[in-house]
Amino acid sequence: MANVSLQQIGKSYGGSVAVEAFNLEIRDGEFLVLLGPSGCGKSTTLRMIAGLESITTGDLLIGDTRMNNVDPKNRGVAMVFQNYALYPHKTVSENMGMALKLQKMPKADIEERIAGVADMLGLTDYLERKPGSLSGGQRQRVAIGRAIVRTPEVFLFDEPLSNLDAKLRVKMRMELQELHDRLGVTSVYVTHDQVEAMTLADRIVIMDGGVIAQVGTPREVYDKPATEFVAGFIGSPAMNFMTMQLASDGSWSSTESTLVLPELPGFDTRGADTVRVGIRPEHMTILDASAVGDDPWVLPGKVMLAELLGADALLTLSVCGEIMTARVNGVGYPEQGQQLAVRLNPEQLHAFDRESKKALQV
Amino acid sequence: MSNRPRIILYSLVGLSVVISFFPIVWLVLTSLKNTAGIYSWPVQYWPDPLTFQNYWSIFTETPELLRYVLNSFIVGVGCTILTLSVGGLAGYALSRLRMRFAGVMMVIILSVSMFPPIALLPALFQTFLNLGLLNSFTGLILAHTGLFLPYTVWMLASYFRTLPVEIEEAARLDGMGFLRIFFSIILPLSWPGFVATGLIVFIFSWNEFPLSLVLMTQDAMRTAPVGISLYPGEFAFPWETISTATVIAIIPVLVITAIFQKQILGGLTAGSGK
Repeated sequence: MANVSLQQIGKSYGGSVAVEAFNLEIRDGEFLVLLGPSGCGKSTTLRMIAGLESITTGDLLIGDTRMNNVDPKNRGVAMVFQNYALYPHKTVSENMGMALKLQKMPKADIEERIAGVADMLGLTDYLERKPGSLSGGQRQRVAIGRAIVRTPEVFLFDEPLSNLDAKLRVKMRMELQELHDRLGVTSVYVTHDQVEAMTLADRIVIMDGGVIAQVGTPREVYDKPATEFVAGFIGSPAMNFMTMQLASDGSWSSTESTLVLPELPGFDTRGADTVRVGIRPEHMTILDASAVGDDPWVLPGKVMLAELLGADALLTLSVCGEIMTARVNGVGYPEQGQQLAVRLNPEQLHAFDRESKKALQV
Repeated sequence: MSNRPRIILYSLVGLSVVISFFPIVWLVLTSLKNTAGIYSWPVQYWPDPLTFQNYWSIFTETPELLRYVLNSFIVGVGCTILTLSVGGLAGYALSRLRMRFAGVMMVIILSVSMFPPIALLPALFQTFLNLGLLNSFTGLILAHTGLFLPYTVWMLASYFRTLPVEIEEAARLDGMGFLRIFFSIILPLSWPGFVATGLIVFIFSWNEFPLSLVLMTQDAMRTAPVGISLYPGEFAFPWETISTATVIAIIPVLVITAIFQKQILGGLTAGSGK
């Protein structure tokens, strides 16, 4: 086991920059998730740790050793790929034992290790089969087994669950979690699925355009998104954003609708007169239309569209002309066309600088 | 829906089968006729009498024709093995090793194959003469390899590109070097591609005429297409011997194709990925 240290890591292809000035200390035994939209540089970063991609600038340390120019096999890392990448012409057991065989470990020891890992993953009955005769979930389990057998210092996962169907993905996600609790090996996990990130991660690194947008625990990135990008990326459906302008009486009014907020509670707007304000769909309270009145945070609205998801329903609302999404209970929600009132909970508002897109401090 | 499009389709398929098979069928029928039957008028369709005399004569009277077939076989097998070895490694390097100028090299390789073989002959003949490679299997195998290598490199490179690159990356993490990856991962996974390409190269080599004609001047070293076409004498045209020799020359190709055809159809990458 080891910590991984990325210091000013950068990657560029010809002239285009894929990853820039990436600084991160991954703690020993930590489960770190790299999250971001496709093309944000998360896979490139993982592949640089693996040694499959050269590092243009900066230093990569695993344990205390600089690994920039070390061959992948000598980095003490094992990787699980999205499409499993098993050797189709070799049996499950040969697939799992390949690295050890190449290290010239005695055959009996290899078999013992494989047997142990196969038992842990429920693969004992499949050891002599070829990957082609296994289901997707079993194949990914073999790929994970192949990584475990090597007892690496660091596990690298590149979207390992993306090829599985929804039900299996949830099951494998829980298995991965159990496995990490049990083995305690430092893990770096790349995904674009925020549910995987939120459930698996000790810390999430959210990347955008080759740079880190925020590093934090799942709780932190949800509650205190550091940038407008993170705020919009984490949470589903996405946060509602409004561009608000300061009026002479100290209230804030939307530039695109008649929506007016009495104040921006506690935010240090640094003298700016225009900011971006966000509120999550789950932080809006739906009230009866008659509730509009005394409370300045209660605003009149109309249901444009109501969609039942099951336990929840999503309402697309026009609040003073501002289009917003609200998440409400799936039982007894208002119908399309209905007039109502919405309370934006002031303590759950987010505000961002219009230029830098950074969160304003409270 | 009516069956008409389907009927038309099958008729066209049937027609093309008949057209392409007629010469071969006629060849086989001719080889089974006696001399009188071949020249009789009106044309004799079914051999009467049906005789295997011609085949017997080839073995007893003109064994040099069998020698040509053997020569073709030696050259074809040698050329196929050499072409696949060199072409496989080159194709892998050019498609996967992230070399600089790989694209340019591929284009150069392709453009080389655009020269008609006949254009190469004067220079090749002189070179082979100086090197003492005329009338040697090594010489013709090298010449054929040079001729069919561009095709092989392109075929195999494009086959390698269809393999998921993650398998190779996993192998690198497992500790394999490039040569080991090629031999223990790429080769078994590209087996159908190698077989298909190898078959085509073998057939190319088997049928190749101009180089074989010029580089093999001794009668005993001639390949089947050259030997059979030069067989007719000045005054006589022994159709029965020629057609029989041609049938015998087709047989090795048919047998090899039959053996390997299943390998081409069976994909091996099933199960590596999704």
